Amino acid sequence: MSFNRIWTIFYENSDLLLQGLWITIQVSLIAFVIALIAGLILCLGTISRTRLIRAPAVLVMEFCRNTPILVQLVWVHFAWPEIIGVTLTPWQSAVTALALQSSGYLAEEFRAGIESIDRGQVEASQSLGMTYTKLMYRIVIPQAVIRVLPGILNQFVTCFKSSSIISIIAVPDIMYYASLIVSQTYLPMPVYTIVALVYFLLVMGISHLMKLATRGLPNFGYFHTRNAPAGGA
Amino acid sequence: MTADAIRICGVHKRFSDLEVLRGIDIEIASGQTVAVLGPSGSGKSTLVRCINLLENIQGGEIKVGSTTITPKGIESGGRVLGSRDVARYRTNVGMVFQSFNLFPHLTVLGNIIEAPVQVLGWKKKDATDKALALLEKVNLSEKANVYPAFLSGGQQQRVAIVRALVMEPNVMLFDEPTSALDPELTGEVLKVIGDLAIHGRTSIIVTHELGFAREVADKIVFMDGGKVVEEGPPAEVLDNPKADRTRAFLRRIA
Repeated sequence: MSFNRIWTIFYENSDLLLQGLWITIQVSLIAFVIALIAGLILCLGTISRTRLIRAPAVLVMEFCRNTPILVQLVWVHFAWPEIIGVTLTPWQSAVTALALQSSGYLAEEFRAGIESIDRGQVEASQSLGMTYTKLMYRIVIPQAVIRVLPGILNQFVTCFKSSSIISIIAVPDIMYYASLIVSQTYLPMPVYTIVALVYFLLVMGISHLMKLATRGLPNFGYFHTRNAPAGGA
Repeated sequence: MTADAIRICGVHKRFSDLEVLRGIDIEIASGQTVAVLGPSGSGKSTLVRCINLLENIQGGEIKVGSTTITPKGIESGGRVLGSRDVARYRTNVGMVFQSFNLFPHLTVLGNIIEAPVQVLGWKKKDATDKALALLEKVNLSEKANVYPAFLSGGQQQRVAIVRALVMEPNVMLFDEPTSALDPELTGEVLKVIGDLAIHGRTSIIVTHELGFAREVADKIVFMDGGKVVEEGPPAEVLDNPKADRTRAFLRRIA
């Protein structure tokens, strides 16, 4: 099969494929924004000094990280109606499952970032009279976020790629339409090759943009440099 | 500014099985400067950290002005106060650390005005004016908008001292302020401490700089094994130490 044939199939079905791609982008973006908020809350729970908050937060975080995305997806969509009496549309289930998965990993990213901040920073803040909330908000979290931003952005790429399975609960994403086209044309090779190329180009593009974005981050002569200037605090 | 007197009575501190402070008694009159000397592991740093509650004590009490620190925390009139009161107390007790602990994501000026604005509620302009005036006194005016990573160790420590002083504390604590510095940079920091930081304040300086201690301290306290071995005026303790342990220590580091 020639390149021309692949191109023709893409051209003939581009409406459907782009429509699906738009759903893929929508679902992964919304899921990721929810995951950012949920992840930060989970993270603050896992580092809480109160066991009653810490224990359930750790349990939820570990559950999110240690169950496969496929299992989470079908669990949310088919089991939640019976467990908690909530029935979600396929689109809502997809967003929820992707947000669950990402929030677990993001919570761990945030936690690692916060714990990587030198104890001296906390002590200096305390000795200046800052309360726990103020020192977290003004001193620790700003430094932690800068440190973990590359990891957070990577997690978005993972979330975007994981979204390729949401078609199994009939969310009309790019994979859903690809399968539909294959069932009509009986041409799996060109159709799935197109999908693979679309994902590849998009993820490459996003990764490149992220690299540019993190390069433009405030550096303070300290973050993201292996060789901080001598005497760096 | 009225400096606060400090009274440390029978203070004990343990880290699990290791007893670091074993009944410390020290009295420091208002406005006095005390230099604490002693070998590593003698409990000097732990003692100053207990005074601003970075460590809890397990026995005895510490009085700083009208505030009493007990194993339960800060007490006033028999009532244990909460974390907000601990934070308020700390605004009156400046601390300078061995490793400077400047905030790397804030400029020099940002480091200095952070607590006055965020904790004391000063207007940003007032805090900035005061910060710039103090920076001028430590010869760092031109570094106000520089990030800490671009400063030498000595410059960083001078900024850390200004950061503590801008709060106008009545008490200053120095935990080996020059131990992380090259000998070349030590002088500039000691000068700032001697000329600026301890004036009109009750100060405790943990140091290994004997000459400096002799020059600025009203009293020297020599500690070993979590106890005060000897204390007195610098001339007495440094020139005619009574205890064998003090003599051996001074001979070794002199």
